[in-house]
Amino acid sequence: MQKRSFLGSFGLYGTVIVVCGLLLFPIYWMVLTALSPRTQLRSYPPKFWPEDPQWNVFSDLLAAQPFGLWMWNTVLIAVATMILSLTIGVLAAYALSRHRLRGGQGLGLFILTSKMLPATLLVIPLFAIFKSLGLVGSLWSVVIAQSTLIVPFATWMLKGYFDTIPAELEQAALVDGCSPLAALVRVVLPVAAPGLAATSLYAFVISWSDFLYARTFLTTSESKWTLNVGIATLKGEFVTDWNTIMAASLMAALPIIGVYLFLERYLVGGLSAGAEK
Amino acid sequence: MANIRFNNVQKSYGPFQAIRNFDLSVEDGDFCVFVGPSGCGKSTALKMLAGLEATSGGTIEIGGRDVTDLGPGKRDIAMVFQNYALYPHMTVRANIGFGLKMRNMDKAEINAKVEEAAAMLELTDYLDRRPRALSGGQRQRVALGRAIVREPSAFLMDEPLSNLDAKLRVQTRSEIVKLQKRLGVTTIYVTHDQVEALTMATKIVVMRGGVIQQIGTPEDLFETPANLFVAGFIGSPGMNFFRGPVEVENGRAVTRFGDQKVTLNVAPEKLSGTHAIFGIRPEHMVVGDTTMPGAPVALSLVESLGTEKILHFPTPKGQALEGDTGIEGSDDAERDAQTMLARVIDDRRYRDGETVHVALPEGKVHVFDPDSHVAL
Repeated sequence: MQKRSFLGSFGLYGTVIVVCGLLLFPIYWMVLTALSPRTQLRSYPPKFWPEDPQWNVFSDLLAAQPFGLWMWNTVLIAVATMILSLTIGVLAAYALSRHRLRGGQGLGLFILTSKMLPATLLVIPLFAIFKSLGLVGSLWSVVIAQSTLIVPFATWMLKGYFDTIPAELEQAALVDGCSPLAALVRVVLPVAAPGLAATSLYAFVISWSDFLYARTFLTTSESKWTLNVGIATLKGEFVTDWNTIMAASLMAALPIIGVYLFLERYLVGGLSAGAEK
Repeated sequence: MANIRFNNVQKSYGPFQAIRNFDLSVEDGDFCVFVGPSGCGKSTALKMLAGLEATSGGTIEIGGRDVTDLGPGKRDIAMVFQNYALYPHMTVRANIGFGLKMRNMDKAEINAKVEEAAAMLELTDYLDRRPRALSGGQRQRVALGRAIVREPSAFLMDEPLSNLDAKLRVQTRSEIVKLQKRLGVTTIYVTHDQVEALTMATKIVVMRGGVIQQIGTPEDLFETPANLFVAGFIGSPGMNFFRGPVEVENGRAVTRFGDQKVTLNVAPEKLSGTHAIFGIRPEHMVVGDTTMPGAPVALSLVESLGTEKILHFPTPKGQALEGDTGIEGSDDAERDAQTMLARVIDDRRYRDGETVHVALPEGKVHVFDPDSHVAL
């Protein structure tokens, strides 16, 4: 590899530092807000380091709110949404990628258009449907509603990935005695691991950050609240305790980071290298 | 081990007929090569035999069993793909053993068979590597290993050498032939390279536009091509063609090549028209022997490969094949109808522009119908 000049390194690292700074500043501000005494929150000029960090804000939050329950509900919904959307997405994407279906292209575009409908447009008809099915107040309502948003995009992400996997790979598996489904599970999916990881992460993050559906379908049953719904209730009519909200938001963000770290090694591509020539 | 039979197999994609009236019988232990230019349907025919493409008509039998409606896994065949199609997430050992595992063979037995196949292909040291850590030639051998370990009734190979460099290709070519002889398994091999076809096959099927042009041994195809296409396709460089008049002299058919009279080995009553298309292979042209009746020609280009030389000279005026005759050579696709070639093994030096005497020996000239292009 060519050795970079001093100026080149300077430019590269300078850019990286500036971009990271921009991206990390809000998180830094969350930490700062959570730990600062309430009196310092709106001080001017702002203090960039709390003189007296209020570490007890976390324990106070856990004591005052059923934070663990919210977290558990959110995890259940996110995992179920991820599994449901990936199962549907994988099968749909594989069919679109491999089979010359009559009108397959139109079907693919139709799936993509459904992604263009805003969630706010869908929420009212979905509410009516879930009410008649008796699902309002159940975690399933949120899982299904979120999947309607995630499946179209997941299908397209996965189709793009499947398109890059040579069909000969499954044909070899078929000749070796696999059923079509076994060829998908044993050969195509392991090779598509980076694509699956990226799509899972996408599904998890979208589900985790959902507020609209959870707020609409779960408001009346407090035991089913998700993190976002719960944190929103911390905003008071007259007084808003920003320290607590920021502390809660920080803790809510941790699992996302965990999932990312877990999937990161699969996200790195290049696994399919060596399949061919 | 089994014979393979195609009975009037058809394949169409909508209105497009990819394969028409495909009838073929391959005997047990044969090494049968499907050869033809790209798009001739040879790979489609192989995929139908593998069960990877559905037929649109006709039946396919392997070992006397009708497999037309069976899936690929139930046909007892093994296939080697052009791009090898190794499973990238498995080790070489798992790749080779995968087909056995799918057939629920027990682990110890799989392992023994994999080791045996690996030893045969000199892959023992690489068994625990992944395909991406192997060279092209090694990957190719893993693909072969995956096929032989199954002990199938037939091997199907789809241009397995086309991704190797020239030297390795020649070496692997003979290895595949030796392996096939040793195992005695009926093999169907698809290639667009007529040299591969001639050197490997016991039986060649020449295809074009989804239709079989000729089936025969390499010698059959070389010596008695059925039509103009086969004549031009088989052989390297391909056959020279020219148009000429048909006359009868002393009860024998003759034509003219430039000013020279060429006696033909064909009964005059077969030649109904007044003219025909004639062909002669570059290696059959006799250069420099003035005792034979021949014509002087001016060399336009001399390609020397040491002792072997390819001499180019213009086709006699008015005798070139004009228009679309449907001839395509495999390695000289842009064949120039205005130029003829002679191949000589000779230490004499030839120069561009030099005039030499060429003769067309009787019996080496092929005659084709000018309209149907069928050999007469």
